[in-house]
Formats: sequence, structure tokens, C-alpha cells
Amino acid sequence: MSTIAATPMPPFADTRVEPVLRVSGLRKCFKQREVLRGIDWEVPPGRVIGLLGRNGAGKTTLLRCLLGLSPIDAGTVELFGETMTEPGGERMHRIGFVPQTFDLFPWMKVRAYLDFTAAFYARWNHALAERLLGDWQLDPKQKIGELSQGQRQKLAIVRAIAPEPDLLVLDEPVASLDPQARRAFMAELLELMKAPGKTVIFSTHITADLERADADITLLRDGAIQFTRPLAELRERLHRVVLVRTGGWPQAPVVAGLLKATLKGDEAQLLVEDANPESLHALASREGATLRIETPTLEDLFVELA
Amino acid sequence: MRAVWQLWLQPCRQVLVAALLLQLTWLVGAILLACTPAVGAGIAGVAATLFGFGAWFWFTLLGLSVRGLCRPESFLLPGFRQRLAAMGTLQVAQWVLLPTLVALLMRVPHALQGGAGILLLAAIGLAASSARYVNLLVWALFILAGWQPGLASQLGKALVASPWTVPLALLLAALIARLSLRAMLRIEDQEANTSPLENVQLGRSRARSLDGTPARRGKLAKRIAALFDNTSQWAMEQALARYRAKPTWRLRMVLVRRLLLPHDNPLAIALRLVLVAAIVAFYVLAMMHRQHFNAAVVGAYAVLLGLSRFPQLGRGMRQMRPNLADLYLTLAPPTRADYQQTLIDALAVLVPITVLTTVAYTGLGIVLTHAAEPVRMLIDAAIVTLGASLTALAVHLVGPEGGFGRGMVDFVVTLGGMAVYWGGYWLLGTLGIAFGSAVLLLVTLGFGLGVWTSARREYLRRPPSFDAPLA
Repeated sequence: MSTIAATPMPPFADTRVEPVLRVSGLRKCFKQREVLRGIDWEVPPGRVIGLLGRNGAGKTTLLRCLLGLSPIDAGTVELFGETMTEPGGERMHRIGFVPQTFDLFPWMKVRAYLDFTAAFYARWNHALAERLLGDWQLDPKQKIGELSQGQRQKLAIVRAIAPEPDLLVLDEPVASLDPQARRAFMAELLELMKAPGKTVIFSTHITADLERADADITLLRDGAIQFTRPLAELRERLHRVVLVRTGGWPQAPVVAGLLKATLKGDEAQLLVEDANPESLHALASREGATLRIETPTLEDLFVELA
Repeated sequence: MRAVWQLWLQPCRQVLVAALLLQLTWLVGAILLACTPAVGAGIAGVAATLFGFGAWFWFTLLGLSVRGLCRPESFLLPGFRQRLAAMGTLQVAQWVLLPTLVALLMRVPHALQGGAGILLLAAIGLAASSARYVNLLVWALFILAGWQPGLASQLGKALVASPWTVPLALLLAALIARLSLRAMLRIEDQEANTSPLENVQLGRSRARSLDGTPARRGKLAKRIAALFDNTSQWAMEQALARYRAKPTWRLRMVLVRRLLLPHDNPLAIALRLVLVAAIVAFYVLAMMHRQHFNAAVVGAYAVLLGLSRFPQLGRGMRQMRPNLADLYLTLAPPTRADYQQTLIDALAVLVPITVLTTVAYTGLGIVLTHAAEPVRMLIDAAIVTLGASLTALAVHLVGPEGGFGRGMVDFVVTLGGMAVYWGGYWLLGTLGIAFGSAVLLLVTLGFGLGVWTSARREYLRRPPSFDAPLA
């Protein structure tokens, strides 16, 4: 049995600098089904944002709406300070995108596709593209339609980072990659982030990658952004409290900052924000239970909160 | 300019031969136009015809190519729309502005009207790539010319003489181009994929781009598709209920058919007949108004319509291969040959369906045209379609893997079917209905069964393939 407390986590936003992305009241429906229910979100420059959410939470839809690739029903999206009604303008030179599945232009050869794309950009790092093609064993003479899903994903990543964009939007980019390619990709991503002002919005289920990138975590649930917070802050402030007593728990104990309670056998597992160890010890001795306070992994947090 | 050049190259990269032929057409037109001062104004007319048809086909090709490029992700390319516009301007300059300017400099009569006409044809070609109903505009002119040649001639003369012709043509071209470009440049959510084996016979007006992505459907087309989907769902539920109540081999086969051929259930067939009736009526109307109209041609068109089901089957079976692994595991056949046999049995239902629909189309044509020998046409259509559909199904089971080979096979089978219909019609007229039918049946069914038996044997011999088709 588990319950999620209605305690809202305050959204994180750095107000000192102009945000790269500002979303307000974004709504999106597919036929009668409302997927995004009034999203308000700001992304400051120079950060890696990990967008987390369960399957069907609307992560892909949100990312596509941000870039103007999917029409929105209400609200506004601003990218680099300009309203994004549809993709266009000089700012497109500053944006890179890796879609969830790459199924474009199957008749094109890898080299022709990269040449075609490079022709549109003012800035294109040919050396980087060549190096990645070699490292990732992508044959420039092969047709895109003949590539495996993982190889296509690699190509999409090469295409997205070769223009050295200021904003990189990645929709589950590593889902089809082998561990070697995933690590290589993360290394490239971290290298890219070394340049000042680079921002990455990264939707993934592989939380270890977000931990490696020290990302800010944004949780999308029930069609809304539940919170955006730095990973270090989440680790520091969120704890799992395990109370064990013989005979179990008829109901979850009341604890300040409780986000979610799960009762399992003799255990009461509580996800608590800003846990107070003294009051928890007092609670444990009052209830005749043993107390364990653990720091959850990002995956644990995702499982608990998403 | 690099981006514009890359965009210009796309039709050549996708369909090199057609692109080269059309560019050659332009070159011949240009040479002929250049010869005008030496040969006379008559040659300029030939050049204008070449430019006109060339522009029509080239812009259709261009539209198909550009539509494939206009995926939402492409709009993230910086200045994509502007570069596309620049490329379009260059194309118009090549096919319309340059020839018109040269013709004007050479004082070729009606050069401006010719240029405006070429531009109109180019716009129609572009629009035809995404909404083929625009081609009906050209069809309407042909119908008018065939129905009332005197009136058409008078109209032509009036258009050449009128000062309004050029602005009207330009206006119409701009309107058509705007309509087609608006559809191409619109960013919208991707529709859910349909089964590759759906019967898209009706959707032949729903053009596909060169990379195989379906055109975006309008509201009416979406409603029709929803009707078909509802019939598929209903048929599947019925088949499931019957199979659960009485799990026999026959009902299991029905279930497999409902899965593989979602639009070949009785309700969908009836719906298709009703809708195709409208198209057939248009064709018949168009043919009737020709001066030397032959009612028997209706049967050949019916054969063409009936057989147009099979190319989609060939493409669909290849696209479906990875998904068929799921069917294989579900059916759990004792041997691989049993599985292949199940597929053959399921698909064989297309033969009677094609025969029945072709006969229905022919019947409809007979009623519309008041054809003199309905029995002769119906028998001919039924016999020929039986043999031709067996052949078409056979060649798509074991036929070539590549798109070019499949295209050639489709072309030969369809044209062959139409030619045999004509031969059969003559045979039935010469030998009489009874004897002629027997001979025709012997020849066509003999051929069809021969091809079918060989193909079936070969298909059973082959192991099932679940590999995704390569690009």
C-alpha cells in the first residue's frame, strides 16, 4: 500500500539570468485526451536538465511542443527570448534536437544526409562529425534505411551536436545505444557542456546518466511539471525513512515533510523532505520501532515520485 | 546557396532517371526554342508543349520529393522555408521565366500566354504531388475537349486573344501553389500508422511521397478511413467471438485474414464498392463524352481497378515482415512450411474478392454507359480477373524484392490483364459466348493456375522471412 502526500515541491528557477526557455500555461490535447495540462517551466542557461516521467507522461510531447514540432492548444513557449509559434529564425542555428526515433530520409546515405544538413548551418564542426562517424563506426556510404535503430540514433546525435548548439534537446537519446556508445555519448555531451552558456534538456529513463551529468531534475507527472531541482539538492533534502516494527502499520505514521508513504509487512517506508532526525528518533521510540534513514538514488526517487 | 543546391539535388538523388529525362526534355525544348528564328514560329509551339508537360511532371516530382523532406524535424533546419522558397524560385526561373523571356526576345507570338500556361501546369504538378484531385482540373479540360471539341476550340482561341488570360492564369497558378504549399509546410501531429496491408485502392488519390510516407489526409479522407477502421474492428470482434465459441480451422483462418487484411471484410468491401462507384462514374462519364467512345473499355478499366489491390499487397507484406514474427509465434505452426501455407491460405481470399469487385465495377460501368453487350463484358471481366489475380498474387508472393522490379511486375501484370480483357472480348465476340468463354477460361485460368502453383511451391519451399525491408 502506498500513498503520495499532496505536499508540493517548490519549482526551481534561477531568476538571475534570462532563461533559455520559458513555458507558460502550455496545454496539449490529442483528440479528447489532455496530455499537458498547463505547463509552467523555466530553464536557465548553462544547465543540463533531466526530464523524468513515466511512460506516457508526455515527455516527448512536451519536447516537441517546445520546439514547435507539435501544435499546442494553449499557452506560450519562448526560446531564447522569442515566442516559438513555429520553428524559424536565426535562433534555429543555436538549437539541436535528437528525436526519440530517427526515421527520416531512409533513401539518403549517411554522408549525403550530413552534407545536406550542414549546408543549412552557419556553424558546423566537420572535425567533430568526422571523428564521431569514425568512433561510432557509421559508414558514410550506407543508406539511412539500412542502419539499425541504434546506428540511426548515433547519426541523429552526430547531426544534433555538430552545429555546436547552445540548446540541445534530447528525447531519450540513449535508449537504443549499447553501453559503449552510451558512455561515449555522455562524454561528448559533457565535453559540449564545458563551453559557457550551453544548455541541455534531456529526457531519459536511465537515471545513472543524469547522475553522471549532475543534472537538474524535472519531474513531469499528471501533465504538469512537479518540480525542477538540482540533483545535489534532491539528494541532500530527500531521504528515505524506514520504520520497522513487529505487527506492521495499520496506517502511515505522520511525519513532517512526508512526500510518499509505503507500508510493506513490518516496514513503513517514508519518502521525506528535510527530515528531522531527532523527531524521527522520537517517533520511532514512541511507536516501538527501529529507525533507518537512507539516501535514495535518483532511480529510487523516480520510482517513488513519478 | 549550398543549402539551395542540396535541396535542388534531392529529386535527382531519389529518382535519378526520371529527373534526368525531364531535364533532357527541358534541354530539347530550349534547343527547339532557339531554332525558332531559323525554322519559324511553329517550332516554338512544340517547344512550349515540351516545356508545359516537362514542367507538369517535373514539378510533380519536385513536390513528391519536397513533401518527403517537409517532416516536422526538417523545419528545425535554419532558414529551411526560405531556402525552399529560393529553390522554388530557381525552378520557376528555369522552367518558366527563362523560356518565356527568350520567346519574348525572339518575338514569338503569344509568348506571355504560353509562359503563363506553363506556370499554371507547374503549379498543378506541384499540387498534384500532395492532392491529386487538383489533376482533375486538367482532366476536366480533356473531358471538355472530348465532349465539345468545337466549344473547346473556340474557348482556346478566345483565351489566346483575351488580355485577361495571362493575369487569370497567374492568379490561378498562385492560388493552386499556395494551396499545395500550405499543406506541405504545415506542422501537425503525426497520424497513427495504419496497417501496411490495408486496402488503399481508394487512397490512390492519397499520394505518397518518394520516401513512402503517406500524404496528410483531409477531413473527409480521415472520416472515410475511420469508417474503414470501424468495419475492421467490428469484423475482428465478430471473428474472435466466433472462434472462441467454436475454434475450428476455418474460423482460425478467418481470424488470421482479419489480422492480415483488415479492409477485406464484407462490410469494408461493400463500403469500398460504394465509394469506388463514384470514381468509376467519373471515369465512365469522362469516356462517354469522347467522340469515339467504346463501352467495352469500361471492363478494361474495371480490371485495372481490381488489380490495383495487389501492388499494395506486395509492399505491405514486406513492411509487415517484422510484425509477422509475432503471428508466427502466436500460431506456433508445427513446421515453417505450415506457417507459409497459412499465409497463402489467408491471402488467397483476395482472388475471389478481386473477381467479385471487378465484376461489380464492370456491372456499374455497363449500367452507366448502357453498354450493348453486358453479358459478354461481365463474363470476360470475371474470367480474365480470375487468371490475372491468381498471377498477381503469385508474383507478389515470390516476386522481386526491389522497388523497381516490383514496379515492373505490377506494370506488366496490370497492362497484361487489360490486354487479355480486350483479347477476351474479341474472342467472345468471334467464337460466341459459350465457346469463347470456355477457350478464354482454359487459356487464362491455365496460365494463372500454372503461375500460382509454381509460386506456391516456391513460397512453401522458402523459409519465412521476418527481416525488416531495407531502404
